[in-house]
Amino acid sequence: MSSGRASVKFFPTSKTTRVLWAGALAFSIGLVLLPWGIKLDGQTHADWEQFLGRFHPLVVHLPIGLLVLVPLLELAGRRRPALREAAGFVLALAFAGCAIAFTLGFLLAYGSGGAGVTLSRHMAGGIALTIGALLCLLARWSWASGASVQAYSGLLSCTLLALVWTAHMGGSLTHGSNYLTQYMPAGLKRWAGVSEPTPATASFYTKHIHPILDANCVGCHGEGQAKGGLRVDSYDTLMKGGQDGPVIVAGKADQSMLLTRVTLPTDHKQFMPAEGKPPLRPEQIAWIKAWIEQGASPTVAELQGVSRGDERAEAPLQPVGDYSSLMAEIRQMELGQGAKLKQVSAKPEDGLVLFTVDVAPSFGDAQLAQFEKFAPYIVDAELGRTQVTDASFDTLKRFTHLHALHLEGTRVTGNGLGKLAGLSELNYLNLSGTQVGPETSAGLKSLKSLRHVYLYNTPAAGNGQQAAAAPRSAT
Amino acid sequence: MDLAVPADLKREWADLQTRRQFLGRSGKVLGWAAMASLLGNRGLRGDTHGSAYGNQPGEALKLPHFAPKAKRAIYLFMSGGPSHVDLWDYKPGLAAQYDKDIPDSVRGAQQLTGMTAGQARFPIAPPHWEFKRYGETETWVSDLLPYTARMVDDLAIIKSTNTEAINHEPAIMLMNTGNMNAGKPCLGSWLAYGLGSMNDNLPTFMVLQTKLSTKENNQPVSSRLWSSGFLSSEYAGVGLRSSGDPVLYLTDPDGLDREVRRKMLDAVNEINRQIYEELGDPETNARIAQYEMAYRMQTSVPELADLSKEPTSTWDLYGPEAKEPGTFAYNCLMARRLAERGVRFTQVYKRGWDMHDNVTGILPLICGETDRGCYALVTDLKQRGLLDDTLVVWAGEFGRTVYSQGGLSKDNYGRDHHPRCYTTWMTGGGVRRGITYGETDEFSYNVVKNPVTVRDFNATILHCLGIDHNKLTYKFQGLEQKLTGPTPANIVPGLLA
Repeated sequence: MSSGRASVKFFPTSKTTRVLWAGALAFSIGLVLLPWGIKLDGQTHADWEQFLGRFHPLVVHLPIGLLVLVPLLELAGRRRPALREAAGFVLALAFAGCAIAFTLGFLLAYGSGGAGVTLSRHMAGGIALTIGALLCLLARWSWASGASVQAYSGLLSCTLLALVWTAHMGGSLTHGSNYLTQYMPAGLKRWAGVSEPTPATASFYTKHIHPILDANCVGCHGEGQAKGGLRVDSYDTLMKGGQDGPVIVAGKADQSMLLTRVTLPTDHKQFMPAEGKPPLRPEQIAWIKAWIEQGASPTVAELQGVSRGDERAEAPLQPVGDYSSLMAEIRQMELGQGAKLKQVSAKPEDGLVLFTVDVAPSFGDAQLAQFEKFAPYIVDAELGRTQVTDASFDTLKRFTHLHALHLEGTRVTGNGLGKLAGLSELNYLNLSGTQVGPETSAGLKSLKSLRHVYLYNTPAAGNGQQAAAAPRSAT
Repeated sequence: MDLAVPADLKREWADLQTRRQFLGRSGKVLGWAAMASLLGNRGLRGDTHGSAYGNQPGEALKLPHFAPKAKRAIYLFMSGGPSHVDLWDYKPGLAAQYDKDIPDSVRGAQQLTGMTAGQARFPIAPPHWEFKRYGETETWVSDLLPYTARMVDDLAIIKSTNTEAINHEPAIMLMNTGNMNAGKPCLGSWLAYGLGSMNDNLPTFMVLQTKLSTKENNQPVSSRLWSSGFLSSEYAGVGLRSSGDPVLYLTDPDGLDREVRRKMLDAVNEINRQIYEELGDPETNARIAQYEMAYRMQTSVPELADLSKEPTSTWDLYGPEAKEPGTFAYNCLMARRLAERGVRFTQVYKRGWDMHDNVTGILPLICGETDRGCYALVTDLKQRGLLDDTLVVWAGEFGRTVYSQGGLSKDNYGRDHHPRCYTTWMTGGGVRRGITYGETDEFSYNVVKNPVTVRDFNATILHCLGIDHNKLTYKFQGLEQKLTGPTPANIVPGLLA
């Protein structure tokens, strides 16, 4: 191991080292205390602060690159000592970069009125990183003067970890916290323990208001940053308002600042969404207005004049499992049977649709049974006008994610419908034109999640000619 | 080469041959590169015709972009421009304005058609018919549409549709293809291209024309409207004829049985395949696919057209004229049968709405011809459980002026084209039912609230079918072409369930 003689020359006395350590300690304490000294109050401050601060994203990537370079140089230095000498220089540059980036970042946050959890974490990370880089610098010098290498390598590892965390927080600030996980494959998500956003209960707020705010406002008024002290990412924070008081006054749309700000002329200084983001659509504004006027409730499901009573909450579709390993068999099935299994959408987790219409005359219970292997992935079974009978229920009961079942015009009589009782997502059942009789109503009642049942042109529909689309009665 | 050919000619021929082969081959390579970029990267085609060309689930299949509410759509196109003033857009104040000039402030600097631009005055012609309220939604509907009025609670009525075109051809093109100029693929072709077939035995996109009932006002519709434009021609609409055989030459001639036809097709396909190998023109494959489709349609179309198994309730609902091929009622019934058989998109054309004069004479005829069919179709789909995943659209290319074209009397008037606002409706999968969307001023002349452009209208239709209109694109002439065109379009959330 070369001992870095050049460094020894520059820092020959232990006294100098002690002074340097003391100075570094004082600097670190000052940096740690800074957020208490100058609080991020969520207010905007001087323009020059924002002007300089906006160079933060430009500068910030420099120390990242330099810091990552340091361990590489140290390792490579084992073979080529010149590289190791460069490592000290690069580390010094990295520290300087950290200090400048932190300063600019702080100016940006303070000047533009940033606040919030993610921002605080990002700032804490920046402080830790700057201090880490400084301590690394000193530890390296100590190591060069004969101290043990462990302190340096340990500190450097910690600093790099702090770098990753800080950079991630910074990314979450600019791109949103789900930026990395949004398009993560479903399997990886489960492995990483990333939770899917839970489907909201169907109140007007969760169904219409929250999605508007989420798509248009949360970038600046959310967990990441809460400009003007306002967060609209949850009902509670929305109603709490910002530093200028509440933004929603229940029942009084004209006094609700949120509505005022989104309805100003688009070139008005206070118009929201700010910074050239697209204005809200007229319907969205109308929904917000109606919601405020009718009490701004988090739970009310319908508003007069906006949503109608016949909108029934439908159970959200559950993602099906991963069937990618069965792809070859699915293709083989199609070639052999003619019946098709198609993806509902580009998202595999939306499941598969079973189409049989072009082979309906030759598609019976035996053919259906061959699809049992794919049962948990089929959400929609289009068996209309095929030759399937009541025996098909024994296969269909294994279609655990089945959402819609088309049996119109088949030989089904409804005997054994109760076998489908375990299908908790079955929402739509079409039995039109079958011989289903009135006695099947018990079987139907056991299918709790059904919302749409069709019995047109069946004995069960009375004289067989009346439309029997009676979704309500089935629930 | 047994012929006695002079040596120099032979040499020249050989030279040409190599050059031709070289060019042919490069063409093929280019063709494959183009195919790969079309199919491989974007994998837009669901599947089309049999396993040979079929696309498998998950295999580069990128459509629908999200789980669709509607699997298929039926579009009732009212060619000529139905009068929103007389049918839908009730303005009680108009009666008092009879024969008064429409205020200049309402008309503004609008350019008029050559048919009324020369008129000395623009006298307001209030609708000749009464309006009444119907349904739980208490929606105003004209006495001309007694059947449609029964189902208003199921419709999303759009009073603020507006277009940029003021004459038929560009306006119809714009509604059907998103562009006023011919040559772009129509909505049905985009859907066939993007979503593929659910039933290999029938075309993905079918067109039903309604027989003419009056001699007046029939603006022509032509195959430009169901053309696939720059998309492969297998995505063009396939028409069912209104009289005689639904599809010409589908039945085998005497003495030719299906087996012989099969052999003939195999031979023709083999030749076509060789041509494709040689030249790499994708249209050759389209031709092979169409021959095969026609072969399968030999059995699927007779079954489709056989109405003998329809229950009597069908005739009670659609009316007796539904038994006569080519009537609007027949086409509505056929549209339902096509929906049942997995046809992705059916477009029904009804001409005759272009009433520059004699509105009181003709409008009742055209309404009488279409009103019951529309009601029957929606009601039938609903009772059979098909309305949950079928989108139904009723629209023309523009509306008609509130002022009279030509002479105005208590008994009669004419109406000119009016692009600034007109009424359309949709219902079915993905659509919020029982609403009226958008508002016009008291003269039914300008949109005052929630305008819906043709682009927005088409974007919303695509949305119901699980398609992001900005992502369904096709590279042509250096542009990422799409149905809604380059001007930004927005889906209309207020119309969505």
